[in-house]
Amino acid sequence: MVLPPNISEADFNAAVNEFRAAVGPSWVFTSDEDVALYRDSYSIYWGEPEERVASAAVAPAKVEEVQQVVRTANKYHIPLYPISTGRNLTYGGSAPTMRGSVVVDLKRMNRILEVDEKRAFALVEPGVSYFDLYHYIRERSLKLMLDVPDPGWGSPVGNSLDHGAGYLTAHFRDHFGSHCGMEVVTPEGDLVRTGMGALPNSETWQEFRYGAGPYIDGIFTQSNFGIVTKMGFWLMPMPESYLTGTITVPRYQDFEPLIEEVSYFEDLSLIGMPQYGSPIGGGFFGPPSPDLAALMQNGWPSMGALENYVAAQKRPAWSVELNFYGPEETVRANWQAAKRRFAKAIPGAAFQDGELLAPPIPKEKETTQGDKPRLGIPALEVFTITSRNPMTNSDPADGHADFFAYVPRKASAVWAAARVMYEAYREMGMPPMHGPFSTPINYYSRCFIMATLVPTYRNAAKNARSRELFAKVMDRCAEHGFGCYRTSPAFQDRLMSKYSFNNNALLRFHQKLKDSIDPNGIISPGRYGIWPAKMRGNRA
Amino acid sequence: MRPALLLFVALGGSLLAQTPSEKNGKAVFDKWCAPCHGAVAPQRTMFGGSALPGTAALAVKYQGKVPAVLEQRTDLKPAYIKTVVRHGLYGMPITRKTEVSDAELDDVVAYLTTNRKK
Repeated sequence: MVLPPNISEADFNAAVNEFRAAVGPSWVFTSDEDVALYRDSYSIYWGEPEERVASAAVAPAKVEEVQQVVRTANKYHIPLYPISTGRNLTYGGSAPTMRGSVVVDLKRMNRILEVDEKRAFALVEPGVSYFDLYHYIRERSLKLMLDVPDPGWGSPVGNSLDHGAGYLTAHFRDHFGSHCGMEVVTPEGDLVRTGMGALPNSETWQEFRYGAGPYIDGIFTQSNFGIVTKMGFWLMPMPESYLTGTITVPRYQDFEPLIEEVSYFEDLSLIGMPQYGSPIGGGFFGPPSPDLAALMQNGWPSMGALENYVAAQKRPAWSVELNFYGPEETVRANWQAAKRRFAKAIPGAAFQDGELLAPPIPKEKETTQGDKPRLGIPALEVFTITSRNPMTNSDPADGHADFFAYVPRKASAVWAAARVMYEAYREMGMPPMHGPFSTPINYYSRCFIMATLVPTYRNAAKNARSRELFAKVMDRCAEHGFGCYRTSPAFQDRLMSKYSFNNNALLRFHQKLKDSIDPNGIISPGRYGIWPAKMRGNRA
Repeated sequence: MRPALLLFVALGGSLLAQTPSEKNGKAVFDKWCAPCHGAVAPQRTMFGGSALPGTAALAVKYQGKVPAVLEQRTDLKPAYIKTVVRHGLYGMPITRKTEVSDAELDDVVAYLTTNRKK
């Protein structure tokens, strides 16, 4: 049995008994077998003393129960760690930031409180998954499209609070950016509604996010300033049509004007997330072709060598798939406009018309529909990237730790970040995941992501190596100003130490907030580097 | 043979004979397991390939010795199913009791071992 740090067994047991009284005895988990279900399946410290494991878990079903749990935690100074659906794989899963915390599992708070079709919003509790909300909308034939992240079993609340993203137009795929209004149990057990939710009798809680006075919703993301119990989200009206089209460009340096033109359509909100690719570079991840491996034999090639290589391959250097949402007349017109602009900007650009669909996809065709998240259909198909496959069959990983570096939206930055990651892998003696044809992900419309997936194992020796690689990638990227936006508790202190402008002024501000809002330091100690004063010590 | 009859034969008529537990087990399976372990793959996925992760992984693991689709297996043991669901296996994560209760897991076991019993 694990206890929270500096808490006596007597106090812990007294708190657990009060949790039982608050939520019912069957919803407090204390046996080793049950508590083990809150381990991070993808922990990079699996089975080691540093693994962040819980002491217990408590699963309230109502806001009042959350408040009671928080009051009890204050009474005994028990650290809590709230989770929504607790998926968040690669970023810590359902395990706490600090070993010995009591997980507050909000999965039972699974009510869809409102979906307004005409005003295009939803109000949900934390335990509602994207699958749940999707099925609710479809069963009622509501003309709304839900923006979903790659894995659909997470929750809109948890995903947006951790800055998750999806695939529709920029306005919707920033999941926190598309939220409107929240309800929060404060660390002292009070209940706050933000924006128009603070105005009694208001009907605009999910329509105007700011209300009056300071806008505080952001402080509840990647933080430990409260437990969010409700959130509103803006939804996309179901578009009449979905049209795809692919553009290819011949030369290596065509990547820059390709990005510039895509960004024009992106910033006008005329497209969903563009899907960049490289017909020469091969798949998103995986080993380079033999020709490319030969080119890379002596390290990163010069621009001239890359152009010569591309010319010899007789295939386009880059591609991008664009996705248009709207009435058929406008999506067709926008694709025509794209063809005109790209042809003018990039000599040799070629175009392939894609499919025109009329959402929603009929139920009987949903299973076989490709690219489900682009049509607002939740799925788990993204896990094919990391599940056992012919390449990994003899030694599949048990999980992965994702490192997403945010880099400027320009070709030179993509290449620079790819090279930084490539060299970090090489220094470790590991086959690099990146090369000169690596392409960015564009979850957030104004910024590119260069992603690395470091394997994790239920094996200490292998994890030690993965940790070394992960830290090296994080350090090297930070030196170049490429910041990671989200990481597991194992690396949150390290990550926040990179955001160090003016002697870590940002973290110091977070700490001041923490000391004021949560004087007993009971909510998620250490989350994203924010430790309560009593635990700060020499940490920052 | 007509497609509907073929399907009936392929399933051993088990759909008609489902107990309440097996029926609920299928519902839980469809919600929690099928998105990775289903029988029908999508046309393509965002990052290439056209496969469901669980089914694809088992196809590689077993190389045809047993079906890659869990619902077609006749060799699954209740204890093994419960262990994998609760502990995870490779990329498949742990499933908590607030997600799939012990009673629901029993129903999934009943559903997945139907073929073995008949």
